[in-house]
Amino acid sequence: MHISDFLKGSPDGIDVKGPGVLCSFEICGITINLTETVVISWGIILAVTLLLLWLTHDLKTNHISKRQVAAEWIVTTVYGLVEDAMGKRWRWFAPYIGALFTFSITGSLVSMIGLRSVTADFNAPLAWALITFVLIHGTNIRTNGIGGYLKGYVDPVPVMLPINILSEASTPVSMSLRHFGNVVSGMVITSLLYFALSVVTKSIGVAFLTIGIPAVLSLYFDLFSGFMQAFVFIMLTMAYISNADGRNEA
Amino acid sequence: MNLDFLTIDVGTILFTLINTLLIFLAFKFILFKRVDAILAKRAQEVSNTYSAADSALADANADKEKYAEAMAGAKDEAAQIVSRAEKKAQREGDAILESARREAMATREKASIETEREKAQARTELQEEIGDLAVELAQKIMEREISKEDHARLIDEFLTDVREDNKA
Repeated sequence: MHISDFLKGSPDGIDVKGPGVLCSFEICGITINLTETVVISWGIILAVTLLLLWLTHDLKTNHISKRQVAAEWIVTTVYGLVEDAMGKRWRWFAPYIGALFTFSITGSLVSMIGLRSVTADFNAPLAWALITFVLIHGTNIRTNGIGGYLKGYVDPVPVMLPINILSEASTPVSMSLRHFGNVVSGMVITSLLYFALSVVTKSIGVAFLTIGIPAVLSLYFDLFSGFMQAFVFIMLTMAYISNADGRNEA
Repeated sequence: MNLDFLTIDVGTILFTLINTLLIFLAFKFILFKRVDAILAKRAQEVSNTYSAADSALADANADKEKYAEAMAGAKDEAAQIVSRAEKKAQREGDAILESARREAMATREKASIETEREKAQARTELQEEIGDLAVELAQKIMEREISKEDHARLIDEFLTDVREDNKA
């Protein structure tokens, strides 16, 4: 092996692929793909549901277990976040925020057990961003009425209409692309690094570089980035919806 | 087969929406519902405990007041008992003193009566003795011849003696 091999790339090459399709079928002329992302999501749902059942079984009012402390901490923390960001009236929104955060962070972290991140598929954050989009506009219409909502697009002057539409449309795009981009770039960088390290390993004949270094980087790209993106996503969701709910403006 | 790296896939979006709904339902009806219920129950219990503690405190204060009242009553009663006992003792002491005085008086009177009686007796005895002496004296005088003047003088002397004796 020579250094030129490194420059040429490995015989396998680097290939960052989209999610695998397990099967696909057609309904009303639309092709529905059952992808890796969806199946892994099912696994996540199952695991999260089991975890929640375990956390919340046999709750007591006093002499509580550590398990219950954890469950109560999660609930009160999410309530606190939602109340801080959106006000007390939006308390009911907390379960969705908790669910979204959990789905996002576990979707990113499955890469640590060798699965493809759910959030490295653009469609997952896009679906969440669409939910947020619908909630933003639903809240806006509920607060201002359909007239007030439509009038918002020509504020402050009618010339602003295209810019306002663009601005509204860009919200879900930017949210989903930010999340997807961060996770997927981590995935790509990890693949590149792993590839580079294995080439170096091959050329010097010692297999220690591939152990350790990727783990440290994975700590950043998977754990930190996964947490940050999940957090950013829920904070933005709450901020946008709260903003659409004009009553919160103090 | 893989999808392209960046594709918009309607199927995946639909499935993700359903999955998100499922995980939301799990959060809402498992975690939040149960924890909310237990938190509400605990808040209820805490407020019950507080009200129980408040009523217990009120009871304790009432008991304390009652006790203080009882203590004050007991103190008064004790003072009364003591003063009653003091008065009684005073009375009894006075009675004892009085009776002692009376007794002493009686004793003294009795003694003086006795003295009077003894004096009288002594006088009687003396008079008897005087009589005897007079007789004796008369006999002695009889033995000798005495003039009328001697007689009178003797009797005077005698009476003077007797008076002096009596005085003494």
